[in-house]
Amino acid sequence: MTSPRLRLVPKPSEPAPFYAAAEKIYPREISGRFSRLREIAVVVLLGLFYGVAWLDFDGHQALLFDLPARKFHIFALTLWPQDFLYLTLLLIIAALSLFFFTALAGRLWCGYACPQTVWTELFVWIEQWTEGKRARRMKLDRGPWTAQKLLRKTAKQILWVTLAAWTGFTFVGYFTPIRTLGAGIADLSLGPWSTFWVFLYGLATYGNAGYLREQVCKYMCPYARFQSAMFDKDTLIISYDEARGEPRGPRRRGTEARAAGLGDCIDCTLCVQVCPTGIDIRHGLQYDCIACGACIDACDQVMDKMGSPRGLIRYTTEHALHARATHVVRPRMLVYAALLTLAGGVLLYSLFTRTPLILDVIRDRNALYREVHGERIENAYTLKIINLDDKPHAYRLAPSGMAGLELTAPVEPITVPSGSVSNIPARLAAPEAVAAGVHRIALTLTAVDAPRIEVYEKTRFIGPSP
Amino acid sequence: MSTNPQQSVEPGRRRWGVDVGLVLWPSFLASCAGSLLFFAAVDPALLRDAGPRLFAGLDREAGYALGFIFFWVIGALASALSIYLIRTERPARRTVGPEPP
Ligand code: SF4
Ligand code: SF4
Repeated sequence: MTSPRLRLVPKPSEPAPFYAAAEKIYPREISGRFSRLREIAVVVLLGLFYGVAWLDFDGHQALLFDLPARKFHIFALTLWPQDFLYLTLLLIIAALSLFFFTALAGRLWCGYACPQTVWTELFVWIEQWTEGKRARRMKLDRGPWTAQKLLRKTAKQILWVTLAAWTGFTFVGYFTPIRTLGAGIADLSLGPWSTFWVFLYGLATYGNAGYLREQVCKYMCPYARFQSAMFDKDTLIISYDEARGEPRGPRRRGTEARAAGLGDCIDCTLCVQVCPTGIDIRHGLQYDCIACGACIDACDQVMDKMGSPRGLIRYTTEHALHARATHVVRPRMLVYAALLTLAGGVLLYSLFTRTPLILDVIRDRNALYREVHGERIENAYTLKIINLDDKPHAYRLAPSGMAGLELTAPVEPITVPSGSVSNIPARLAAPEAVAAGVHRIALTLTAVDAPRIEVYEKTRFIGPSP
Repeated sequence: MSTNPQQSVEPGRRRWGVDVGLVLWPSFLASCAGSLLFFAAVDPALLRDAGPRLFAGLDREAGYALGFIFFWVIGALASALSIYLIRTERPARRTVGPEPP
């Protein structure tokens, strides 16, 4: 039996992983199908990130995890800390989706959607724009400090820092209202903690996208380490077709490769030069590979020039490489899909049936019951009412479950402001004739202006022992 | 003094920067998770209103930030201890007397 886990080959002739000593990598720029796809992903995702913060919906910021006010606005939905269940479900769904897509298509997330990738791409664009392409950058870094170099480096730094600061600001803008935040920065009245977070996130962006780059993927990212546990021989990976490429070697254009005893790889090392993590995909899949597709684009260009078919490096599966059938539908996928559907279903169901009201009923512990006017028995309760709606409501309380049971207090509807908790004393009474013993009763709380908002809570009514 | 071959992966190289990273980074992640869970259940304003005198005059924002830093520091201590234990590990001496050939 072969192990279902994909074997990741160690990188040959590579010193043990060490980020302190890592060499600076100058990836060569490349254009092609997958680079275009990533450019689109970067523009769309960053556009959403920088844009959505400014969207308003129904008088509030459309997407705001308002930590100072402890409430989350997600368009029409307002969630409070009491709705923690949804957050948990969302996190579970996110994790399951990651498993699902990893098993299906490998590190799609890394190549196109991870913030690390997306911001690095943006910072690299700036770098290329200010310092030029790979060869020029290498020369610039090696050369002496001329006015040119100073100018280019300063321009890059100014752009980087501005962008990082704006990113930190936008990020914090999802947690405190962004317009207030902006005003606070404009008139320098921002609180120390908001400043701290903007600075921290800005710094993280600057460091991660400007300098650490692929080292984050190699040394800091837990996902990069455990993703291979979700891989199997049917997972879509980026791979070099060894059978077709080897033996590699340079040749003149137009040489008939097979006749010359050669494979299709001309050993131009372009695939290595474009790799942002600096690996040679021809050694096999390595966990440093972030599946960015740059080597595919590079090799396709070479193959086009050589007049060979594209796809010497391509998206494929272990099974396909060994001429066996690839199964998209397989037990692992079914299990992930089932769990995902389940979690999604629970989330949707609970969102649609969510009542923005919570009622807790606590019986008064001091006295079991009290006689009133010698003919009625009264029980006291404390109601804890939480209004989870985004507007205030008045609620009416109604007891049920026992003949002759009446509400003696409160008689007026109870008003609870939006998002707050009210502790209200309540009293119920019943004629002595029927009150003896323990009765299971229920309390119903209904919003006066919206009968749809109604909750029901069980409790007990206790009379003298019979 | 003999060195553990397992331990000296990178002879002559400074591990210092790596260790700082290994201490700060996992504890940062743990602190994110910890703060999320903790502050979902506990309102920092509650600590101010009902907690010990220490927290008087603390607003929510400060509460979140200090909570986050607190978890980070605790996590960092745990990471640092792990690193310390790993780095100072010595191979057991299995034989007494002359080494076997
Ligand atoms: S090996 Fe190819 S896909 Fe993997 S990181 Fe390098 S360039 Fe990207
Ligand atoms: S880009 Fe293609 S042809 Fe060039 S070295 Fe890499 S695999 Fe070989």
